[in-house]
Amino acid sequence: MAQIEKKAGLLRRTSSSKKPLKEKVVLMYDEIFAKEDPTKNNPRFWDELFLMKVNLEYLEGKLESLDGDEVMKIKDNINSLFHHCVQALGEEHQIKVVNALQTLCALFRGVHQKNKSATGFDIINMLMGFDKAELRMKELMESLDSLLCGDGSESLKSLCLKLLLCLVTVTDNISQNTILEYVMINSIFEAILRILSDVSSRAQHGYDAVVLLALLVNYRKYESVNPYIVKLSIVDDEPTLDGMGMVIHHALTEYNRQYKDKEEENQGGFFSTLSSMRNFTECLWFTCESQSHPEIEMATTPATPVPASPTTPLGTTPPSLDMMNNPELPLDPNLQTSNLLITFLKYSSIVMQDTKDEHRLNSARLCLIILTCIAEDQYADAFLHDDNMNFRVNLHRMPMRHRKKAADKSIPSRPLVCAVLDLMVEFIITHMMKEFPMDLYVRCVQIIHKLICYQKKCRIRMHYTWRELWSALINLLKFLLSNETILLAKHNIFQLALQVVNLFNMFITYGDTFLPTPSSYDELYYEIIRMHQVFENLYCMVLRVSTNAGQWKEPASKVTHALVNVRAIINHFNPKIESYAAVNHISQLSEDQVLEVVRSNYDTLTLKLQDGLDQFERYSEQPREAGFFKELVRSISLNVRKNVSLSTMSQDVLLKEFSSIS
Amino acid sequence: MGDTELELSPAQLEELQKSPSASSTSTTSSLSLPSSPSSGPRPLTSSSPSTSEGLPTSSPPLDVISEGVGELSLVIDTEVAKKACQEVLQKVKFLKADGEVSSASSEPVLVNGTAHPLSTDGGKPPKISEEEAEPVKNVRRRQKNNSSKQSWLLRLFESKLFDISMGISYLYNSKEPGVQAYIGNRLFSFRNEEVDFYLPQLLNMYIHMDEDVGDAIKPYVVHRCRQSINFSLQCAWLLGAYSSDMHISTQRHSRGTKLRKLILSDELKPSSQRIRREVPQPPPSCPPPLHHGQGMSEHSLSPSKRTHQRSKSDATISISLSSNLKRTASNPKVETSQDEELSSSSDSLELEAGTPVRLTPQREFIKSLMGIGKRLATLPTKEQKTQRLISELSLLNHKLPARVWLPTAAFDHHVVRVPHTQAVVLNSKDKAPYLIYVEVLECENFETSSVPVRIPETQIRSTRSVENLPNCGISPDQRASSFSTVPNYDNDDEAWSVDDIGELQVELPEIHTNSCDNISQFSVDSITSQESKEPIFIAAGDIRRRLSEQLAHTPTTFKRDPEDPSAVALKEPWQEKVRRIREGSPYGHLPNWRLLSVIVKCGDDLRQELLAYQVLKQLQIIWEQERVPLWIKPYKILVISSDSGMIEPVVNAVSIHQVKKQSQLSLLDYFRQEHGNYNTEEFLTAQRNFVQSCAGYCLICYLLQVKDRHNGNILLDSEGHIIHIDFGFILSSSPRNLGFETSAFKLTSEFVDVMGGLDGDMFNYYKMLMLQGLIAARKHMEKVVQIVEIMQQGSQLPCFHGSSTIRNLKERFHMNLTEEQLQVLVEQMVDGSMRSITTKLYDGFQYLTNGIM
Repeated sequence: MAQIEKKAGLLRRTSSSKKPLKEKVVLMYDEIFAKEDPTKNNPRFWDELFLMKVNLEYLEGKLESLDGDEVMKIKDNINSLFHHCVQALGEEHQIKVVNALQTLCALFRGVHQKNKSATGFDIINMLMGFDKAELRMKELMESLDSLLCGDGSESLKSLCLKLLLCLVTVTDNISQNTILEYVMINSIFEAILRILSDVSSRAQHGYDAVVLLALLVNYRKYESVNPYIVKLSIVDDEPTLDGMGMVIHHALTEYNRQYKDKEEENQGGFFSTLSSMRNFTECLWFTCESQSHPEIEMATTPATPVPASPTTPLGTTPPSLDMMNNPELPLDPNLQTSNLLITFLKYSSIVMQDTKDEHRLNSARLCLIILTCIAEDQYADAFLHDDNMNFRVNLHRMPMRHRKKAADKSIPSRPLVCAVLDLMVEFIITHMMKEFPMDLYVRCVQIIHKLICYQKKCRIRMHYTWRELWSALINLLKFLLSNETILLAKHNIFQLALQVVNLFNMFITYGDTFLPTPSSYDELYYEIIRMHQVFENLYCMVLRVSTNAGQWKEPASKVTHALVNVRAIINHFNPKIESYAAVNHISQLSEDQVLEVVRSNYDTLTLKLQDGLDQFERYSEQPREAGFFKELVRSISLNVRKNVSLSTMSQDVLLKEFSSIS
Repeated sequence: MGDTELELSPAQLEELQKSPSASSTSTTSSLSLPSSPSSGPRPLTSSSPSTSEGLPTSSPPLDVISEGVGELSLVIDTEVAKKACQEVLQKVKFLKADGEVSSASSEPVLVNGTAHPLSTDGGKPPKISEEEAEPVKNVRRRQKNNSSKQSWLLRLFESKLFDISMGISYLYNSKEPGVQAYIGNRLFSFRNEEVDFYLPQLLNMYIHMDEDVGDAIKPYVVHRCRQSINFSLQCAWLLGAYSSDMHISTQRHSRGTKLRKLILSDELKPSSQRIRREVPQPPPSCPPPLHHGQGMSEHSLSPSKRTHQRSKSDATISISLSSNLKRTASNPKVETSQDEELSSSSDSLELEAGTPVRLTPQREFIKSLMGIGKRLATLPTKEQKTQRLISELSLLNHKLPARVWLPTAAFDHHVVRVPHTQAVVLNSKDKAPYLIYVEVLECENFETSSVPVRIPETQIRSTRSVENLPNCGISPDQRASSFSTVPNYDNDDEAWSVDDIGELQVELPEIHTNSCDNISQFSVDSITSQESKEPIFIAAGDIRRRLSEQLAHTPTTFKRDPEDPSAVALKEPWQEKVRRIREGSPYGHLPNWRLLSVIVKCGDDLRQELLAYQVLKQLQIIWEQERVPLWIKPYKILVISSDSGMIEPVVNAVSIHQVKKQSQLSLLDYFRQEHGNYNTEEFLTAQRNFVQSCAGYCLICYLLQVKDRHNGNILLDSEGHIIHIDFGFILSSSPRNLGFETSAFKLTSEFVDVMGGLDGDMFNYYKMLMLQGLIAARKHMEKVVQIVEIMQQGSQLPCFHGSSTIRNLKERFHMNLTEEQLQVLVEQMVDGSMRSITTKLYDGFQYLTNGIM
């Protein structure tokens, strides 16, 4: 308490008010916290209060210092403070509106801070009173709506959004925030969209608006029908969707830029010595973490609505939002070579580089989930595969000892699907480590599978260097084999192995529908034959496991069946190659020679057609990903809360100017 | 009713004849009061619209109606006139209007004025006689000396043979103001399209020749401008372009500039507005016109209200278009609110004449296309240009549909969407011409038909979500059918229907019905295997074979080359492209959907191209008339200013350079690859097409002295025709004056090979065609020469460099040679071109400097 008063004193001094020791507003707060009705002595009490500059810290501190029971005692006063705050929002005097907004912020936060354990109903009761709650909240939301939609001051709008953010994030778990029930009933969805669709307001408040929307769609989305999800899923207004895309695009670009700056900065210091290579990456991330943590968070937060919204509780998947990731329009002609998807891919490539810490692992997972949604959506696919839309995407590649960094500056511009595949290949080859990110790998292979299914279906022949993908996949199998014991302890590696083998089966049996040239089909065989040892070892392993009874018997035997064609190829061609070598007296056959043998021996090879290669399970958020998203939303909530409190305080400075103007 | 008219018009005549001296001041007055051309200075022209135009009048108003070019109010105007002359007074509604109109005859409106005399004499023969009488009187009054000569001339003018070409010729050559004025009036009697062809000539004469010619032409131009927005803009653009060669100081005050300003100020509105503004002008002695004027304006306003508002709001949208373009997206809400505001205030706005909205949408559209071209030119690589182009166009899409159209198209339409991903940047070193495809909806009349409603791009998606949006204009089944009825093409990548994605999921049997036959071969197999549980075996060889077969069956496409993005786009058969874009378009289901394409050129002077187009078109007409089976393809040119314009692309054609680079084959082998082996029907047809087009263009090249003939400038279409493009160096100009290309035309041995060699029948046929074509062209030399000659007037274009351009052109027709001599000449030219190493040298030179094969 003493501390608070001291603060009040300090504030007084800075604001150079003369008379009493305590600010007048602080005195007035004290009056509210007395049990008496403050209007008793001063009928114009409320009018005066909102003319006073808010002392947020004091008010919040005061509220926090009271426990539940004490608050209940002054409930009437708090209720009427809340009531008058809401009323003041309708005032013409903008100073009053500003003060009311800030007071509300403090009220929400203060009450929650102290009563974390209290049920939502208790809090509502404390703030508004049960009987009046519905009416009050309706009034509040309506005033906010009109403030947001009106053409008033921009800082006022910003403050409205801050208040809403503050309200949404008062609890760690958004679904436990019962007050939001009123926000659901009295939707401000249209107001948010309005902000996003308008160019100038988007620039100023776009970020807050998107974060707010992202949080709101996550309110009890698994348990009940969240109107924001429903509304979001049917938005079809192009400028608005573009606007949303722009905001995300901007945040991601900002993140990418900062990463790049950091990278370049650090290059001078550390890059010169080889020994510091490993340190370099770590250091890089450390600096990133410490210095630009809010930005990282910034970048991840807005990305959430993308996977969050396609999954309505019903499991039906209105995908209108993942289109955000797929703006058919490269949004800003001044950023010509970039669009949201490109930026997103770049961002993903950065995030995926190091998945060691939890935070970034989650970000990488989120990226992969988003890509999964994209790969499933045929419109997004059509965009990815559009031959007329070629882009040059510079993915960030992890510096590794055995390859040169940024060796390929001159990647040709290609349809975006190539960049997606590149990213997947990059992920596959860079994450074979002890802490094996199994679920990320599964997602990654699924994404590739879905893209190939689309290509097969639509007979699109991408001129992609499939060979890189094949060799990456084979290396993955190799890794699984060599770390079998360690990995089996934690993961079902057979599931992943099956997926990989089935990808090969896709190429083997359906290659005619999507491979670009006949020779690429030959190359596939060449690659399989070249790496036949891996497949043979895999077969031995799965055969061994499937013959032993145990939990892996079933999944392992599936892999043995899936391997039938690969083994047929190996068994068919290997003798032919050997005899060719013998006949021609060559010990080591060149690639061309092997291809020659392959080409001339197709006809005697019979393959078995496998079922359901081109089918996949559609992504659904519930129940599999629900836990992940809950955690994600929680961390975002925490982060937003932290940032909002900061910015609200700095808002004071801004408001000082504001008050002097009006 | 007819009587009152007759009473009034002579009175008017007298009044006008009384003050011929006022002609000097009249130029300005007619400019400021464009609405009253008949109050103009020259007694002859001013009087003639109302009197001497018996014959012509029957056609212009009728034309207006049949074409529907006029605005609604104008239609009423002409309808009234028509009624008056035919005495068809059936509809009560019009009866009333007519009553008012009858008193309006004194009103000096051209259309009305010209129409009314008709009412006095019903049939045609009397019309002619009266018409004969009046102008003769007038003409005689002015030129008493040469009256005899005049009458001969008059008989020619009135004969059936007198066509627009002769009219233009006399207008240009005659020094008699009377004759010029007469022809100026006669212009009204020709069909609009006929005159439109000579519009560049007319306007060039207007700008650069003496006052009399200008005065003769102006009423017609003003009249047409009132009728049509399109015509107004064409005039404004051409006037700007052809005035640009004048000295800057004279340019500012020139007639052309003034007329251009007048048109662009949008003063030239159709009658309703015109009348209103005129109201204070008629002397108080005649109140009826005033009364009538108000009546008319009210009358016409109410039915046309909607269109007016519509166009106004369109305009504002596109006004905001240019400004909004700089930002990134638009807010439709803002726009609609603007709409509403305007609609409330537009009535009052409309009454104050002169808000220039009629022409604005289209001007803004063109301006933004040009702006894109300018910005593209600043980018270094083709790839960047392409990407920039795509994103710029995607923004443009936000503003469509609007009341805008492509002036190169042959039918009325509104542009609804630019499929931005299809646009390509064309090959050019420092400029950035680009090709866009434009989706349009055909309509009755782009000025009056309402602009189509915007269908958002995302609408297709929404059909997938459960919560369907309120009717998007297409029912789901409709869309489904439009998707599924598309014939399934083998290597087609677009054949999936809206819900195809479902097939990728577990409901396998669906594949049976939906997916196309030869794709499903496997899928079917996999189903059976699933059902019967019996393993299906396939031969690896089959898969490999299918793969190579399918690739072989794909129609030869060009490989994508980032340095030459246009090659692929141009190679795709037009019908294919139309189908593909139609499927992807939210407007594709509409029956009046059409696809157009246009090349936007920025930084290039297309005036020579336009000249070449006119000559080509004229020769084409001549050859058709004379039944010479020469084939040429004049492509339409739109000159927007002296350094920008649009070109109608030749569809289904790629340049020989691209053919050779992509196929790595000789031309003959390429023909065989595309059309089949010798002796097949297809090859022979293609070969004949090649020969006919080659002969045609060889003659063109010779007559026009077309230079810079490298393989990048010669296209080959899918039927085997060659098409020359780029007429940047014609007549007296040649590239950098290097003295290359001295041969008469380009005839390489490759061409001869395609024709079947020097001894083949087709080669003889080729020479014979040339001879016939030259003889036919010679017969109508005047028509060709005149086009060029008039354009030389006041022009700084390089093709008119030197003094002997026209003389040399005439000489190339060899009027003095007998047909036998001509034959020898053709032989010589062919031989010369064959032996010419300069052609080869030039190709080599082009390859070295521009990388063109």
